[in-house]
Amino acid sequence: MAKMTNLYDVSKCTACRGCQVACKDWNQLPAVIEPFKGNYQTHEDTNGDTFTIVKFIEGEDPVDGVYWNFIKYQCMHCSDPACMSVCPQGAYSKTSWGATYHDPEKCIGCQYCTYACPFEIPKYRAREDKITKCTLCVDRVEEGLTPACARTCPTGALKFGERDELLQIAEERAKFLRANGFPRATIYGKVELGGLNKLYVLTDTPDKFDLPLDPKVPGQITFWQNWVQPYFGWLIPIALGGSAISFVTTRILANKNGDHTEGGHE
Amino acid sequence: MQWIPEYKGDVPRVERFNFLSRFTHWGHTVTFLLCLFTGLALFLDSADWLAAIFGGFHGAGLVHRIAAVAMTIVVVIFVIGNFKVVIAWIKDILRFGKNDIIFIMLFPLEFLGFKVKVPPQTKFNGGEKGNSMITPTAVIFLILSGYIMWVPSIFPAGLVRLAYPIHDISMVLATMMVCMHGYLGSFHPGSGESFWGMWKGTVREDWAEHHHKTWYDETYGDKASGE
Ligand code: HEM
Ligand code: HEM
Ligand code: SF4
Repeated sequence: MAKMTNLYDVSKCTACRGCQVACKDWNQLPAVIEPFKGNYQTHEDTNGDTFTIVKFIEGEDPVDGVYWNFIKYQCMHCSDPACMSVCPQGAYSKTSWGATYHDPEKCIGCQYCTYACPFEIPKYRAREDKITKCTLCVDRVEEGLTPACARTCPTGALKFGERDELLQIAEERAKFLRANGFPRATIYGKVELGGLNKLYVLTDTPDKFDLPLDPKVPGQITFWQNWVQPYFGWLIPIALGGSAISFVTTRILANKNGDHTEGGHE
Repeated sequence: MQWIPEYKGDVPRVERFNFLSRFTHWGHTVTFLLCLFTGLALFLDSADWLAAIFGGFHGAGLVHRIAAVAMTIVVVIFVIGNFKVVIAWIKDILRFGKNDIIFIMLFPLEFLGFKVKVPPQTKFNGGEKGNSMITPTAVIFLILSGYIMWVPSIFPAGLVRLAYPIHDISMVLATMMVCMHGYLGSFHPGSGESFWGMWKGTVREDWAEHHHKTWYDETYGDKASGE
């Protein structure tokens, strides 16, 4: 099946946070009130009851001066998700159209996925001892609807559709922006981590939007998953097997030598 | 066929481990094995049958944490309550020398039941010295990394990520040692007598002299410092 996803065009976003509210509403997530931090951002990061946020990023560029960027931020629905590979419970799955789905029924709250994710997106919900994250509205999409955030967006900054088509729109839009006052306009999600199932049109380089330029699964996690988990454990059956062999040979050798196995007289 | 060498109460016996050493040794044995089996349920990627023993994965996680806390307490009790013994143990490990190296080289043969001539050993032989270094170190790493994994949010993310492979590597090393250690300390005909040292506190005097000559001489024999 064709990959389905959201294209989010930063240049059309007014930071109304309608998407944030629609997400809370559809997923029945209680409000999480964080203290005022001196800017417009409601939440420091996604959390157990907040799957998506709009970030407000203030900064100063040595050449262009002060900038103020908004960006909708949530799970990137990676094509080969690290959360899925570390989960000891198989709670994660990929839908045929590209969403990374987390099944709360299977989750035991170990939080391996939080630390494996290049974006640290899966978040712990302490009251249930479970992880939560954006579902790309799997429940809506499979019924033929668009995700709650995209449906609500009043400016058309969020568009849901087939990834291939959206990518074409994104390329054209980035080209247009580059020619019209945003020389560094770019696309995010096309090649990152082998292609995310989330597309962004950015008016500036990704680091100006708090996005990692080259997102990576942390080295400790790949070492753990690719080396320790599959191979290292074999030392245990080898030790057990050696002991079992010794159990037999000690008794055979003792019988052959005619002494009773009563405790170590050589 | 005999499993463990028979306990002989009617021959001369010498003390090997005091009560606290024995109590805490079996305390950390039980809690270690509980942690091991509940942990393996995750390590073996969804070993449902293993988790089922503890009432599913939530039960296994709970048992893992309770046993972990109990093990931490047992280890602390041992180190504080038995401080002198711990120091003597460390000193004995530090006596690692030529005889220990010869022991370790001959060990595979002795392990399989061949008769070998082993040079005199101190309280802990070369193999036990190795075990005394590897297993407790691995257990300390298990404890440290385990608490980090338990409450990751209060630690830096990089440390949490490091805790995962450390927990698993320590688990494998400790378990590998414990497999052979548990076997040697029970069913192995040559060294099985040591089981009674850990269970009842004493071992046969002739066994002690034969297996740990240096220790025997220094503690009970000619070289004993007049106790
Ligand atoms: C103070 C000691 C310990 C603490 C606090 C601790 C804590 C933890 C925690 C929080 C987890 C994450 C899984 C979960 O949420 O249930 C875990 C996993 C695990 N633990 Fe421990 N643990 C301790 C000791 C041990 C010991 C002694 C062993 C084995 C000999 C062990 C073996 C494992 C294994 C194999 C896993 C699964 C790792 C994986 O998924 O690859 N742990 N432990
Ligand atoms: C599985 C069942 C086990 C049995 C039958 C067993 C038996 C014994 C015995 C008989 C001794 C005394 C050896 C001597 O005379 O010097 C001993 C010592 C010791 N045990 Fe265990 N043990 C078991 C499990 C464990 C576990 C799970 C640990 C740690 C995680 C452990 C750690 C130690 C250490 C550090 C020593 C002192 C060093 C040595 O003698 O190797 N044991 N054990
Ligand atoms: S609803 Fe649309 S315009 Fe408003 S914040 Fe979300 S993406 Fe931006």
